[in-house]
Amino acid sequence: MQYQHLKVNFMGRDPSAAIDEWEDPAFEVYHTTDRYGFIHDSNLSKERDDAEKIAKELERTDKWKKMYKNWDKSFDGDHPSKGEKLRARVWKGIPDQWRGEIWKKLLHIEELKATHQDVYEKMLTRALTTSPDIRQIDLDVNRTYRNHIMFRERYGIKQKHLFHVLAAYSMYNTEVGYCQGMSQIAALLLMYMDEEEAFWCLSQLLTNKKHAMHGLFIPGFPKLMRFQSHFELVIKKFMPKIYKFMNANMIPPSLYAIKWFMQCFLDRTPFPLTLRLWDIYMLEGERILIPMAFTVFKVHKKKLLKMQMEQFVNFLQHELEKDFGLEDDAVVLELNAVVLDLRRARVELPPPPSDPLEEVPKTHFGSVTYPTEEELIKRQQSQIHINDEPTVSRTEYLTLLAVSLFTGNSGIGRGLVDTKLGMFPSVVD
Amino acid sequence: MAARGASVQRPNGASQGKICQFKLVLLGESAVGKSSLVLRFVKGQFHEYQESTIGAAFLTQTVCLDDTTVKFEIWDTAGQERYHSLAPMYYRGAQAAIIVYDITNQDTFNRAKSWVKELQRQANPNIVIALSGNKADLANKRMVEYEEAQAYAEENGLLFMETSAKTAMNVNDIFLAIAKKLPKTDPGARGPQQGAGTVQVNESQGGQKSGCCGGK
Repeated sequence: MQYQHLKVNFMGRDPSAAIDEWEDPAFEVYHTTDRYGFIHDSNLSKERDDAEKIAKELERTDKWKKMYKNWDKSFDGDHPSKGEKLRARVWKGIPDQWRGEIWKKLLHIEELKATHQDVYEKMLTRALTTSPDIRQIDLDVNRTYRNHIMFRERYGIKQKHLFHVLAAYSMYNTEVGYCQGMSQIAALLLMYMDEEEAFWCLSQLLTNKKHAMHGLFIPGFPKLMRFQSHFELVIKKFMPKIYKFMNANMIPPSLYAIKWFMQCFLDRTPFPLTLRLWDIYMLEGERILIPMAFTVFKVHKKKLLKMQMEQFVNFLQHELEKDFGLEDDAVVLELNAVVLDLRRARVELPPPPSDPLEEVPKTHFGSVTYPTEEELIKRQQSQIHINDEPTVSRTEYLTLLAVSLFTGNSGIGRGLVDTKLGMFPSVVD
Repeated sequence: MAARGASVQRPNGASQGKICQFKLVLLGESAVGKSSLVLRFVKGQFHEYQESTIGAAFLTQTVCLDDTTVKFEIWDTAGQERYHSLAPMYYRGAQAAIIVYDITNQDTFNRAKSWVKELQRQANPNIVIALSGNKADLANKRMVEYEEAQAYAEENGLLFMETSAKTAMNVNDIFLAIAKKLPKTDPGARGPQQGAGTVQVNESQGGQKSGCCGGK
């Protein structure tokens, strides 16, 4: 098997695995690690601001603790007034130490895990032998948040988990498989939870009704296209100057908006602000994407109009990530105002796809897909030798089991291979 | 196009000469080093953990050739096959392309060949194509022979260089070679799309900015 080395590496670092010196965390002394785990070359300048923010956050922690304990009683979505309290608090920002737990609550992970026991392990086992996306996943794990303490070490534990989550998901939702853009989302989740939980969160984000990211990642990116065109129309209607400017400079939304919509602003706003946006995204779903994109233009309109194409793109792609130019709370307030404005104008969301089935999964989750003859020929031509057998052969399973035993990773070998899992999309929303 | 022409950044105090602006697109399999080549050429930097490009990125860099300043508008694309559907939007109207493969991976060379075919069929007929065998610093893991790639490039009329974004080997050179090959005298003769033709701006200021040639 061509990708055997990947599996061995991810089951614990093989001493013979080639890593560069910089990939070894023991090799260098870190400069500064911020409170979220990102490593910086220079001293953090906004330390005092951060201290104030953290004090405020700690104040709110007790409230969240209480709320979490009484979650089912207090925050049933069926009681609008109680939902409002949760909403108000999420918009103020979830304290970082509660973030993971609350995200999981908002996505109903506990329930999903209980009704889908063993599924993650089965998908993982299958993925490690048959996923056609393994190579791409490995390439991308190698360059996902390497500036974060958790993902710094090549083949380190969190890199391994990231590899597992993406590989398992590529088997669970075969229509999406693995698409570039998913690795940062999975990594973000892994900063706050374990691998199985991250797997189910990813699954919810892609296929629940609120987030429905499935359509953003399937071939042709139909949902991305729909959001981009809608955003252009919204800009045309409410910010004609910006629209004219972008038209004259031939700046398509694909140059600035892909990561906004595909990853809810990951790497496009400073990380603490991105977390605030993700808190809101977890609760509200896709309906905040157009308003947030609009907020970026609204806040920076004057500056943007003075720029040339190169500066414009650089500003949106890179400069805003370094400094958004506004306090996080102020951005969230502005976003809230924009949400109301766009809702009033009924343009908060794009119209639904013309074919209602276009952006949703059609295959049962976790079902084994047999490659078509055409696909097999294509694979042979491209000389990518994944297994000829669409299902896991006994020999391969035994090989895998042996590898896992040798490397002491009992988690991989435990699940027995089930060739016909055929699970129905059971999504809790 | 008037707006584009006017937007050309003039190198501070350039000598008399013209500025030509060209759209260049980078294509190739995932993780062969497309973004790293651009980063090296434009900023003189190299990141070991260069993040994967989602969608596309846009940067510019200027090189000087005798009395001509060539400004590249560089469109860097995502490599995963799934993003292929977006590629025509980026190579449409491009006057130049660098197709990148990784010398340590034969599959990426095959992928490069299919990009060449696609551009020969679909892109601007006068497009200048360069083939870059990147990661030349990893020659001990080489899987694609220099001679094989060179023969292929010759057959197909491509510029060819082995490059290393990590060590900077041949990075400026490949862009310079493209700049030399691009016609600089016939505005409007090329693709009708965005960035079409050669934008010429007559300079009136004097003295070339040092460091504008071939990046830093």
